[in-house]
Formats: sequence, C-alpha cells, structure tokens
Amino acid sequence: MKTLLDSLMVNYPYFAAMILFIIGAFTVLTRSNLFKKLIGINIMESAIFLMFIAAGNIRGGAVPILDKANPKALYINPLPSALMLTGIVVSVSVTAFALALIIKLYQFYGTTDARRIAELKKEVASR
Amino acid sequence: MTDLVLALASGAAGGILIALMPRAGDRLRNIVALIFSAAGTLFSWRVAGAVFAGRTIRISGEIAGLAWSLHPDPLGAVFGLIVSTLWLFAGVYSFGYMAEEQKQRTYYTYFLLAFSVTLGVAFSGNLLALYLFYELLTFATYPLVIHERNSEAMKAGSKYIIYSLSGAGAILIAIIIVYSWTGNLDFTGGPLLADCGLRPGLGWVLALFVAGFGVKAAIMPLHRWLPAAMCAPTPVSALLHAVAVVYSGVYGIVRVVYSVFGHELAGQLHLSHILPWVAAFTILVGVIIATQQDVLKRRLAYHTVSQLSYILLGAFTLHPWGLAGAICHMISYSTLKVTLFFGAGIIAKGTGKVRVSEMSGVGWQLPRTMAAFGIASLGMIGMLPLNTFWSKYYLMRGSVAMGKWQLALVLIASGLINAFCFIPTVVAAFAEKGEQPVLEKGSAMGLMLAPTLLLAGIALLIGLWPGLVWPGVDAVVNWFF
Amino acid sequence: MTATIKSNLPVFVVIMPLFVAFVLPTFARRIRLVEGLVTATTALGFLGAGYLASLILIQNGNPINYSLGGWSAPWGIEIQVSNLSCFFLLMVAGVSLPIALFAADNMTHEVGGPQQTTRFYALYLLLGGALAGMAVTSDLFNVFVLVEVATLSCCGLVSSSNHPWASEAAFNYLILATLGSALILGGIGFLYIITGHLNMEFASHELNRVWQGYPHVVWIAASFLLVGFGVKSALFPLHVWLPDAHSAAPSPASAILSGLAVKGYAICLIKVLYNVFGIALIQDFGIHRILTLLGMIAIIAGSVFALTQDKLKRRLAFSTVAQVGYIFLGLGLANSQSLTGMLFHMASHAVIKSGLFLAAGAIIATTGKNRISEMAGVGRKMPITMAVFTICSVSLVGIPLFSGFVGKWHLLLGSLEAGNRLAQAVIIVGSVLCAAYLFPIIRVAYFEPTPVADCRDPGLPQMIALIMLAAWVIILGVVPGPFLELAKRAAIDLLVMK
Repeated sequence: MKTLLDSLMVNYPYFAAMILFIIGAFTVLTRSNLFKKLIGINIMESAIFLMFIAAGNIRGGAVPILDKANPKALYINPLPSALMLTGIVVSVSVTAFALALIIKLYQFYGTTDARRIAELKKEVASR
Repeated sequence: MTDLVLALASGAAGGILIALMPRAGDRLRNIVALIFSAAGTLFSWRVAGAVFAGRTIRISGEIAGLAWSLHPDPLGAVFGLIVSTLWLFAGVYSFGYMAEEQKQRTYYTYFLLAFSVTLGVAFSGNLLALYLFYELLTFATYPLVIHERNSEAMKAGSKYIIYSLSGAGAILIAIIIVYSWTGNLDFTGGPLLADCGLRPGLGWVLALFVAGFGVKAAIMPLHRWLPAAMCAPTPVSALLHAVAVVYSGVYGIVRVVYSVFGHELAGQLHLSHILPWVAAFTILVGVIIATQQDVLKRRLAYHTVSQLSYILLGAFTLHPWGLAGAICHMISYSTLKVTLFFGAGIIAKGTGKVRVSEMSGVGWQLPRTMAAFGIASLGMIGMLPLNTFWSKYYLMRGSVAMGKWQLALVLIASGLINAFCFIPTVVAAFAEKGEQPVLEKGSAMGLMLAPTLLLAGIALLIGLWPGLVWPGVDAVVNWFF
Repeated sequence: MTATIKSNLPVFVVIMPLFVAFVLPTFARRIRLVEGLVTATTALGFLGAGYLASLILIQNGNPINYSLGGWSAPWGIEIQVSNLSCFFLLMVAGVSLPIALFAADNMTHEVGGPQQTTRFYALYLLLGGALAGMAVTSDLFNVFVLVEVATLSCCGLVSSSNHPWASEAAFNYLILATLGSALILGGIGFLYIITGHLNMEFASHELNRVWQGYPHVVWIAASFLLVGFGVKSALFPLHVWLPDAHSAAPSPASAILSGLAVKGYAICLIKVLYNVFGIALIQDFGIHRILTLLGMIAIIAGSVFALTQDKLKRRLAFSTVAQVGYIFLGLGLANSQSLTGMLFHMASHAVIKSGLFLAAGAIIATTGKNRISEMAGVGRKMPITMAVFTICSVSLVGIPLFSGFVGKWHLLLGSLEAGNRLAQAVIIVGSVLCAAYLFPIIRVAYFEPTPVADCRDPGLPQMIALIMLAAWVIILGVVPGPFLELAKRAAIDLLVMK
C-alpha cells in the first residue's frame, strides 16, 4: 500500500492524465449530445497533453533557455512541450471543424442530439 | 504450335466477333458460329494428331512471376478431341434448338468463349494454367446457365458460382502447398510430386484436389449444383453439364492423380483406398436417385452424376486397365449422353413434354429421335454392340486387378439399375400406337436431328470397332504407366 | 535546378501537393485552372514516385535518408525513402491520378458550386500530401501530425457532399477518428517516455535494449497504437464509422478514402510495429496473433455484412472492411511471403476499390439510383463503366491474370509458411464471399431484363480514369515485375532488425 501511495505521490500527473482520459473517453462514447461528445474529445486530448508534458518535466529543472553563466544547470526537456503545441493546434482545428459540422447538422435537423438525429434519419429513409 | 494457338483462339475470336455484331441476322450469326467452332475443332484435331504422333507442342510464359504453360499430352489431347468434336455437334444442334429463342447473341458469344476455355483446360501443361482455365470456365458458362433469366435460373446460377468458386478455392490451397514443396507447377515432365516421397500432409493435398475438382465432377455430396443447372437450354445441358464442364472436373482429378502424384505415390496413400468407394457410392446413389426423377432432364442430370464416377472409379484404381477403362468411358459416355440430351431436347421442342410419365406414345411422333434415344439407353446399360461395353469391361478388369472385385459388382449392379432408368421410357414411348402425326419435319428439326442420329451412329461404330479409339486410350495409358 | 529537385525529391513529393492545396483557393473562380493544377500535381507526384522507385531499385534497396533542414537524426527530423516508402508512394500516386482525372468537370453536382469544388480539391491534395508524408516519414511525431492532417481532410472530403447525411457521417467519423488519434498520440507518448527518441530507428534501438524494464508500459503503448490505428484503418469491430462515411462521401472521395486513406493508416501501423517494436518484440508480446485473429474476423464479418447491403456504395464500403482484414492477416502472419502478399494486396485493393467506387459513382450519377436492385440493364447502357466494374470485381475475387490473385497467392504462401491452416481457409472463404457480394451486381447489370431508362457512359476524362484503373489491375496481375519486387524487398526489410 505504501509503494502504491508513493508512486502516486511521485507520478501524480500521470494518474491525473489517466483519470482525465477515462472521463473524456467515457463522455465521448456515452453522451448523445454532440457538444458533449466534442467536450469529451477535448478532455481526452488534454489528458494526453498532460502526460506528454509531465514526461518532459524534470523536478527542479529550469526553463530551457541556455544560461551562459551557469552551463551545467538542470533544464526541463523542451521537446514534449514543443510537440504538444502542435498537438494543441491540431486539437483546436478538430474542434473548429466539429463545431462547423454541428452547426450544419443543427440547421438541417434542428437538434444537436445524436439519437434524435438517427431517428429523424430513419423517418426520412422510410418516407 | 500455331495449331495450338489457333485452336484456343478461334472460339474466343468467334465469341468476341459475335458479341460485336449487334444487329446481325440469325443466319449470319449461325454461319460465324459454325465457322469458328469448326475451326476450333479442326485445329484441336490437328493438335491431337501431333501429340499422338509424339511431337511436343509447348507454349509457356509467366504471369506475375509464376510460370504457366500450355503443353498437351495424350490425356489432354483425348479430352480436347472429345470436347471439340462434341462442340461442333452441339453447335449445329443449337442452330435448330435456339432458332426461336431470345438472346441468341449472348448465347453464342458465351458458347464459343466456353469452347476456348475448355480447350484451355485440356491443353494446359501446368497447374497454374489449369487453375486459370478452370476458374474462367465457371464465368464463361455462367451466362449460359442463367439463359432463361427466370428466378429458378438465377438461383441455379448462384449455386453454380458458389459451388465452383469454393471448389476452385480448395484447388488453389492445394496448388499452393504443392508449389511450396516443389517450387514448380509443371506436370508434363513426369509426376510433379514424385521426388517428394511420402510426407505428412500429402493425403490432405490429394483430398483438397479431389474435393475441388470434385465439385465440377459432381462427386456426391458436391453434386447439388448440377441438377439445378438443368434449367439451361438443352444444348447447354447436353454439352456443358454432361460433358465439357463436368469433364473438366473429372479431367482435373485424373490429371492430379496421375500427373501430380503419379500412380505409385498415390498408391501409397491411405486415401487411395477410400476414393474408389466414394466413386462407387456416387455411382449407385446417383443412378438410384435418377430412377426417382420424373422430369427427364433431371433424370439425365442425376444419371450424369452417376456416370462421371465411373470414370473416376477407373482412375482411382491406379491400374493400367482401370485407367484404360476410364479413358474409354470418357469417350463412350460422352457420345451417348449427348445423344440422350439431344433426344430429350427434341422431345421437349417437338411435343412440349418434359416429364417421363407423359411420354407414352412419343416414339411414334418422333420415331428417329426415339430410336437414337433407345440406342443410347441400351448403351448406358453397357450392352455389347455399344461402346460402353468396352469401357465397362476395362473398368471391371481394372477393379479386379486392383484387388477390389467388389467394385466390379457395383458396376454390374449399376448397369442393371440403368436399365430401369431409361428402357421403360423407351418402351412406353413406342407402346401406345395412335393416329399421331410425325413431328420430325422442318429445317430446325433437321438441324437438331442430324447431330443426334450421327452421334448415336458414332457410338455404335465405336462399339463395333473399338480399334477406332484404342490408339488414343493406349497412348494415355502408356504415357502414365 | 534539376539537380536540386532531384536531391530534394523525397521532400518535394510531400510538400508539393500540400503547397498547391493552399494555393488552390485563390484560383477558385477559374475552375478549369484548379482542375488542371490538381491533375498536374498528381501527375508530377506520380513521376516523382516513379523516379524514386527506380532509384531505390537500382540501389538494391538501400534507403535514401534525408535530413530536414540539415539537422541529422536523432536531433533533426529524418525522412527515409525505403522500399516500403517507394511502394506506398507509387500506390498513392498511381491511384490518386485517375481519381483526380475522374473528378475533373464532374464534381459540381455532388458538392455544389465552384467554391466548394475548389475546397474539395484542396482537401484532396492535402490528403494526398499527408499520405505521401506517411510513406516517407521516419519520425513518430510526424506520424501523428500526418495522421491528423489526413483525418481532417478525410472528414472534410466526406462532409463536402451536398447531402446532410454526409455531415452526420463526417461528424461520427471525426469523433471516432479523433479518439483514435488521441490513442495514437498516447501510444507515441509512452514510447517516447521509455526511449527518449522520436526517430523510429533510434527509438527501436533503445526500445529493444530497455523494454524488459517496462513490459507493462510497452504493452500499453502497443495496445494504444493498435486500437488507435485500428479505428482509423477500420479494423473490424472498430469499423463502425466507415460504411456511413464512405457511402455518404462524393464518389471520388469514397474512392480515395476506401482506396488509399485507410491504407495510409495501415502503413503507419506497419512502420510503428515493425520499424519501432521490431519483429522480435511483436512475437514476444504475441501481437501478431492478435492481428491474425482480428484480420480473420474482419474478413468474414465484413464480407457477411457486405452481403446484406442493398445500397451499392454501402456494399462496397463493407467490402473495404473485409479487405482491410486481409491486410491485418498478412501483417499478423509475420513472414516475408505474407508481408509481400499483404503489401501487394494493399496496392491491388487500392486500385480495385477506387475503380469500383468510381464506376459506382458514374452509374449513380447518370441513373440517379443507388440500390443494386434498381440497376437492371446498366451493363448494356454503360458498357465501359460496367466492364471496368467487372474487371475490378473479378480481380478482387482473386482470379489469375488480375492483380488480386497475386496478393492472395503470396498471402496463402505466407499462411502456409506460418502453418496456419485456418488462415488459408479464411482467405479462400473470403474470396468466395467476395464473389457472392459482387457478382449479383454484375448479374443485375448485365443479365436482368428490364433496362433503366436513359443513361450512358460518363465523359472522356472519367472514361480515361476508369480505363487507367482497369489497366493497372491487369498490369499488376500479369506483369507486376518491379512493383512486386519492391513489395518483396519491403517485406524483407520489415523483418530485418536494424
């Protein structure tokens, strides 16, 4: 029990990422509201970002700007943060695109509920 | 070599030509079909002649890095001879039978394409080419099966495709296994697997091959597509479902047993003690079911199922006598069965009767047809003046020589049941004499009648003078033993 | 000038379509120019891919390494043109060229006005560029970025159709695909945490050195990647988005989605599995067994679902699910024959499925009917379209002389080598089922009596596109020569540990 608690204390960003990821995935898969699905996606992606950035973090590390006076200073790894910048851009564009699609769907079906849309679609198909 | 190319090309060329002549009259189309069938027949006779004279004809190449070759050997030549000769007869018969039918263009297109493909099966010199033509045959004959375009025909067509493709799949697996063992698919230079010796999995390969080709050879229980396919026009049933298509399956099995395994290797497998009995089972059950059928074409179909296994039985004896019987039966049975089918077609066209129970008195309306039909029926029993007597003789000799005399009994029993199958029909046809007009008149009837009578004549001729076909049979047996 | 282009060709084949894609919207008013540009770009891409392939073939398969910005790996981003890359580049270029031709002058009724058409083309080129990038990249994070570019352009292509159902299909696709991307990014993250590298070669080296320390993390990374790429490449049962998306999209989009996009993700999975994890690790973890099993299930299930569809494009879409199964099956059997077969099947399916979707699109466009049962007599009215459809169907079933046979032949040899009898049976059953769901279409089109009212073959560019695809099918089936050689070498490369 002690070891688990210890590892939890040391690796808490990873556990947080895991919990966020599960919350996100659960939201995406179980909610029928399109907005909530989208929010779930965003939560999930945040979890991954968190994990990446935590991986690059070094406790006690400084901001990775080369300090000529102190060449042996401990820096955090800048690469994951840089990568996650790209990840965030991707995530934003996905969100924007999804919102545009939701607007289009709302214009046609008058609802943002996935189940209701499926029902309406069946009605149209049967007609 | 040119002969080989021309033999294969003439059917395909004719088919494509007919497909491209959209509004041609029936007459012109018939002439084109006749010319190209005759050309195919002529060239395949020349090929066969060259093969029997001992010359080597070979064309080979590569598809996607895999070698293929066309290389007729005596067995292929005999098969090619049977097919091409009967194709010409069936072509002439079609001109009469199809005269008033719809969709003649489609019919003749695929009729001729199937000719090329069947010759391809006969002349192929390695497993890849054999497989290719065997697959193509399914597609080339599919439009002929669904010629009537009604729901029954469509169902039969789907059944045919699914059965055939499943069979081809089994063959493909077997070919792949053989390829992985030998790295070679060519079977013209002695048995392909001869150097492999006995090894685990060999029996499975043979089983896969037999099951795969057995679909088209209508081994029970893989025969279900054949009676269903009888909804096709009669010339198609006669030629394809009594000879060409089903023979390609039989031919495939004989090929595999003798050219891929070789009789020595095959004899060492346990399976080769079971296979004759599978054939015997099909012989008996097929003919018994045939006697139960009322629709004449269905009766003929089940009878085909039974008779094909005669050939297989002969091949499975792995004995020179048995093989001789098998080849003899291939030749004899095809002439007789086509005669029977042609007769059934004339009866259906002339009187509109398709059921055996309706046929009393038909003989006086169609005397010459029923005479030919009667001769063929006698032949199916294996009576002496007819060619099947000789094949049955060799088949029995082969089974006894193999040490399975029980198989000879099966053959005799089957001959007796055969007698019940057709003789009562013929007797009934001539039994009731009434004031009925003779229907065998008109050019269409003439075109149907001539090939029928001619084939019955050929069957008699071979029966009286078996020396006519013996050189071919001898060549095949000498090739493999 | 030419020397510069030649030495930078690996980058150009990726950058060029991306660049043109962003320029296109400025020409939106001159739709002819847009179409010309797109066709020229894909044609140039094809030439470039051909040139690279010939280089690689001459060099006996030594990969061309290209360091972006002059920073060499592991610090910089590396592009590697290997046998696999050339194979996939050729496949992408060879298929996207006819699709671009088919789309020319033909898109307006499916997507709306010239504005929308231009956007469609921009997305099309973006997707092409992303796929080319997937072929050459050897950097894990680039894989993620390219996967995202491809996903977004795929969703855009699906939603470009006028029909409101398309938006819904695109939304579902987007949600599931983003879920997949998140998993992929997570998987890459775990790999990075263990190895500290994003370059595949270095990551692989490090992973094989240290993995015993973190077996669970490796497991999690593998399963994240497998599920992530599985969703994207429509591995049964993660395929749920595919039938809607591929049938709702405009026909050229369906063709490139089913033909290429799905394969792009598969290529990424292949690279990650074989170039990073490596064959030894795959076998230690038993991943190959999972892949084989999933592949077999996909073949059977996809085919059975396809059988029950009456809408033409949906049937073709489910057929893609089945064919993806062959790719995963070949991947799982993990020997050189099966990998060759898998790669070749991938290419031949790309060509075949594009041909099928384009022919289906032409039929639906002229007749206005999308159900198979309503297509009686189409074969006589649209002979060339239906001939191409037939050639492609026969090839997909796997008849010799057509491309499908070559792939299946090697897959069967591979399953024989792996001693997997069940896989052989499944491959054959899959072929028979494939015939069962494709031949009824041909039968109805050619042999059903009542002809549809008025329809004829599409215009010249469309015909050229269709004939080109049919020609690919036959060329690949009869003389695949160098192409098959590339696949063989690529398969051997995958099995060699660096």
